[in-house]
Amino acid sequence: MSARAMTARRPVRRHVRRVAVSIVIVGLILALILGLALLAPWIAPADPTRQVLMMRLKPPGTLAANGQLYLLGTDDLGRDLLSRILFGAQVSLAVATLSVLVSTLVGVALGMIAAWLRGWVEVAIMRLVDIMLSIPAVLLAVLTVAVLGPGFFKLILVLGLTRWPRYTRVAYGQTLQVANLPYIKASELAGAGSARILLRHVLPNIAGPLLIIVTAEFGLMILFEAGLSFLGLGIQPPAPSWGSIMSVGRQYVERAWWIVAFPGGCLFLLVFSVNVMGDWLRDRLDPRFRAR
Amino acid sequence: MTDLDAVLEVRDVAVHFAARGGLFGGTPAPVKAVDGIDLTIGAGETLGLVGESGCGKSTLSNAIVGLVPPTSGSIRVRGHEVAGASRAALHALRRNVQMIFQDPVLSLDPRSTVGAAIAEPLAVRGVARGRVLKDKVDALLAQVGLEAEHAGRYPHQFSGGQRQRIVIARALALEPALVVCDEPVSALDVSVRAQILNLLVDLQRRMGVSYLFVSHDLAVVRHIADRVAVMYLGRIVEQAPRDVFFAATKHPYARALMSAVPEADPVAQRAKRRTILSGELPSPSNAPPGCAFHTRCPLATDVCSRERPRLTPRPDGALVACHHA
Repeated sequence: MSARAMTARRPVRRHVRRVAVSIVIVGLILALILGLALLAPWIAPADPTRQVLMMRLKPPGTLAANGQLYLLGTDDLGRDLLSRILFGAQVSLAVATLSVLVSTLVGVALGMIAAWLRGWVEVAIMRLVDIMLSIPAVLLAVLTVAVLGPGFFKLILVLGLTRWPRYTRVAYGQTLQVANLPYIKASELAGAGSARILLRHVLPNIAGPLLIIVTAEFGLMILFEAGLSFLGLGIQPPAPSWGSIMSVGRQYVERAWWIVAFPGGCLFLLVFSVNVMGDWLRDRLDPRFRAR
Repeated sequence: MTDLDAVLEVRDVAVHFAARGGLFGGTPAPVKAVDGIDLTIGAGETLGLVGESGCGKSTLSNAIVGLVPPTSGSIRVRGHEVAGASRAALHALRRNVQMIFQDPVLSLDPRSTVGAAIAEPLAVRGVARGRVLKDKVDALLAQVGLEAEHAGRYPHQFSGGQRQRIVIARALALEPALVVCDEPVSALDVSVRAQILNLLVDLQRRMGVSYLFVSHDLAVVRHIADRVAVMYLGRIVEQAPRDVFFAATKHPYARALMSAVPEADPVAQRAKRRTILSGELPSPSNAPPGCAFHTRCPLATDVCSRERPRLTPRPDGALVACHHA
């Protein structure tokens, strides 16, 4: 406790009152997507993998002979698109969240360590970053999957471990800047160890730019998952993910626009909301932008 | 050699920074930021360290608090060696040496509350925790003229002068024997300078702390220092008790500094003979031989470029490093 006891935030209510309408809307969208994804097994109208070949490529609103309504239409194998999107949301959200988490942890830790320790550690880490960035990420992912084999957790590992260099670059540059400031020296003089200085004083002060990358990468990860799934290296069919639905739908875009349009729209809403939320959170985390 | 009363003893300290070699070999000369300095500060004493920017004042301060390792020489705080001390030894030593930085905006972490900043040295060392810690922080805030309720606020909610008060409270939290003040008032408005200086003097009287007061402002040094040392290119050229120094400055460089201080009385100001130095401060990686100042000195003769003058005592108690003054 000790020092933390004194960092007690002011009452929460004061913050809530100042929240802008856009943040409320964006928050509701995120909550809705998350809620629908979690509730998919109960609210989905059909089994997302059940094929009805008679009902291939039916437009949204089609009513089947057995009374089933295909609210968002069907895909190329006659599967209910709404159900696939609902279940696909689970996969896409999980892959994006977990892979961003992995790459943030690895990338930020390495960047801060490189900038803090300098010397050969810095050279080793930052040259590795250069090497990683010079190899096309897809190639690296394909190679890794080829060695490890496909699978949900392997996919997260692959995405997480190929995307960390971006975080490292930013964390490294920001840490270099902050590490020479007098308040860091003052903490050193106060007797704080490296771990405490990095976590308590450096990390909060470099969190803003990092958060921007996190939100940008979040959307990218969903698309990456789609790309890898399309290549047969990610989520294995028939399991749905937004990415795999879209990559299949791409082939039929002239005859059945809905297969791409609906998951695409969901993806847009999700990424947009995450970005707006990220910007807001960055400002919120900075005491200088809080109410005076 | 060891003076038991001395809080700080600096003996022949040098700090050289190795310059990075070029692509085609050849090691450039090291930058001699500090090149052989002796200083002593007694208990409850204030030594004013004066010199132009680039003369090594800040490097010397950083070496004294252990942020920069000295290349050679000995730095003793209360008899304990700082130079070459292990991490654990440095950690222990820093209870006795703290620092106040020039820029109060950059001296406080914008993301942690004032209370947390002041509590950090106490919390990290396990001096106090919980309720006791909070009381200590409140007491420290009161000591520098702030309220207990300020502990929950963030640095950006304070003015420059108030922030410097917070920095002072943090520096004094561990009740150090020596506080190195690196230009503590030069970033402040003139109107709050006097307040901060008086606060420092007041705290010194109450706690018996010693100050190494680094400044380029002679008026400020005259106000606060018991003794004055003038640095030029990594060396001390003159050291004297304050009154002796301001009554009769001897070294030609110190005189030039003195003559640059404007006089409040316009008649006296016009009558004043100003010594204007020509030329730039030579590079500390390529200091002139002999007396480092001879390239700009109005009194320089042949001997100055050959022999480095030693600091020698004068009858009135001053120490001066000059062949002619």
